[in-house]
Formats: sequence, structure tokens, C-alpha cells
Amino acid sequence: MMRLSTRFVNGCVSGLYAARPALIAASLGLFVMACGGAAVPPQELLDARSAYAEAAKGPAADLAPAQLDTAKQSLDGAQKSFDDDGASQKTKDLAYVAQRSAEIAAAEGGREKAERLRAASDKDFKNAQVQGLENFQKTKQALAAEKVARAEAERKAAIAMSSLAEIAKVKEESRGVVITLSGSVLFATGKSDLLPIAQDKLNQVAKALTDQGFKAIVVQGYTDSVGSATDNDRLSLKRAQSVRDYLVTRGVPSEKATAEGKGANNPVADNKTPDGRAENRRVEIVVTPEK
Amino acid sequence: MKIRTWVYWCISVTMLACGGAPVPHDALSAAQADVKGAEVGGATENPKAALHVKLAKDQIELAQKQISDGDNEEATRTLNRAQADAELALALAKEAKAQGEAAEASEQVGKLRKEMSK
Repeated sequence: MMRLSTRFVNGCVSGLYAARPALIAASLGLFVMACGGAAVPPQELLDARSAYAEAAKGPAADLAPAQLDTAKQSLDGAQKSFDDDGASQKTKDLAYVAQRSAEIAAAEGGREKAERLRAASDKDFKNAQVQGLENFQKTKQALAAEKVARAEAERKAAIAMSSLAEIAKVKEESRGVVITLSGSVLFATGKSDLLPIAQDKLNQVAKALTDQGFKAIVVQGYTDSVGSATDNDRLSLKRAQSVRDYLVTRGVPSEKATAEGKGANNPVADNKTPDGRAENRRVEIVVTPEK
Repeated sequence: MKIRTWVYWCISVTMLACGGAPVPHDALSAAQADVKGAEVGGATENPKAALHVKLAKDQIELAQKQISDGDNEEATRTLNRAQADAELALALAKEAKAQGEAAEASEQVGKLRKEMSK
């Protein structure tokens, strides 16, 4: 054998006399491999090693440690068989089983991971359902509360309007809600100071306005056609201002309330009769509603 | 006398070497049971698992041939391979099933959240 090998190498070397040293080295390498076959692990063992390394890197390390340990023992058995017997059929069979064992560990790790993800998702789903129900109930409660609040506001407004209707004429016009107060209940003839009885009425007007809420009010003073226009204009403005100022003292926001003197303009009745003139002497509060 | 003893010894060694290993009935039925288990566990529905079911079946067939040829030791090792493939097939099937269910559960959560944010 030894002599044969030497002759083979000699043959190679003499045959490749002119060849480059690298080629000679390669030939020698091949020769060493052919003779020392026991040193080369079979493909099955290489596959088993890499399958184990793959499994140990994955979720199996944390989630399937027992099966991974079984795989390690199986691989060690194959390795020992290789160390003892070389690349025998037994070594190959053990390595084949070891590779499957590692792949089983990897699959069990993957299954465990997926099951945990699924459990987490199920929990999320339940939480989301609970949250959804809570949101739904909150929305329902909010809607109910809003409905109650709106009904309450409407009720208050209705009460305010009806109480107002007892003391003043209330009419809805395109310019807003117009509250008309007769001049005779508010002022003495030719004066712009409020009569004591007027204050009671204006208290009710102020309450109705603040209860109902509004965007703005314009207090407009009107006179009959008796007397000069200048005097009437001045008197109507002063009266409107008196009413406006009083309402502000009763809680109507000052920035929302203005006063105008309209004099004898826009009569609502005939100035030729005493009744008509009385009707024309008036204060109108034009309310611009909210929204 | 001495020669006779030597002959007996020779015969018994030969018997041990040739037909010494018993027929691996247990390994055969274990491998067959594992294949059944893998199939029931859904291994045929997953391509990777189905491949290992096939490998297991092929090796059981080979082992049966080896048994009828009297190669019992070889058959035992072949059956060990078959069993490893069948077990792997079941593990892969279970993994695929769990992954499918996890994906579905995650999708359900996504749907619900989307529904809620409307």
C-alpha cells in the first residue's frame, strides 16, 4: 500500500513535471482526502450540525428547550459514532435522525411562539371588545345627557317666553324675536327715568333673556308723532338707553346689548287716535337668537 | 474434541453475525403509528410535512424489504429514520396550524380595531 502510494505520487509528480506547484499541491490534497476518508464527516452529519445550529438560534432555545436538548444529545450521539466508526452507515443514520430531531425542536419552538402570539391576539381582541362596548355605552350616555340638556334648555326657554308673554308682546320676526313693552308702563310722560313698576317687568325680561341665552339684543325706543322729530329722537334714545342699562345691571352682558333711538319712525298704530299714539310709544327689544 | 469445540464456536458466531438481530416488530409498528398520527394531525395539508410523511412511508417500505431479506439490524435503523421523519411531519403540521391560527387571530383584532375607529 505504502509503496503503491509512493509510486502513485511519484507518477503524478513526474507526469506534471512542468506543471505549476499549485496543481501539485491540489493533487496531493486529493490523495490525502482519498486515503484519510475517516476525517471527512458525511453530509448527514453536516446537515445535522447546521440544523441544530439553526434551531438553537430560533425560538426553540426559549420555548422548546427540552426538545432542543434531545436534539443536542442526538447530535452528540451521531458525532460520537463518527469519532468511533467514521462515516459508517450507522453514523449516517444517527445523523439523519439527529437532523430531524433538531428540526422538530425548531418546529416546536415555532409552534409555541405562534401559540403565544395567538393568545396575545385573543387577549387584544377581548380588550378591544370591552373597550368597544365601553365606548358605545359612553356615546349612548353622552347622547342621552345631551338630549336631557337640550330638553331642559327648551323647557327653560319655553317657560321664559311664556312668562314674558304675560307682561309683553312677543313676536318672532325676520330680524329676530321682538319683545315690545308699552311706554306707559315704563316711563312717565316726557321722562326717561324708569318707573318703579317698570323695574319688575324688566327684571322678568332680563331673567328670560339670561335663561334662554342669545347672541345680541338691540333695545329700540319709539315715540308717537307728537312734538319735534329732534326731541322725539333724543327722548327715544334716552329711554332705550335707560332700559338697556337697567337690563345690564340685571345680568345681561353689556357687550351684547346696544340701544337705538328711532323717534316716531315705524309706527305700529294710528297716531291720530290716543290709543294708537299710546301703542306707538313703546320700547322694542330685538333679540338675535344663539346660532 | 478441541476441533469440535472450535467448530461450534465458529457456527454460533456466524449465526449471531448473520441472523442474530431480532425482527424489529416494535420499531415497525411504532413508525407506522407515527405516520398515522402525523396524517391525522394534518401533515398531508402542509407541503413540508407531507414530504416527511412520504419519506417515512418510503423508509417503512424499505425496512419491510430489509426484514424479509433478513437485514434486521439495518431495518431497525431504517425504521428509526422513518420514525424521525414521521415525528417531524407532525411537528411541522402543528407549527403550521398554530401559525395559521395566530395570523387569523391577529387579523380579527385588526378588523375589530378598524371597525371601532370608524
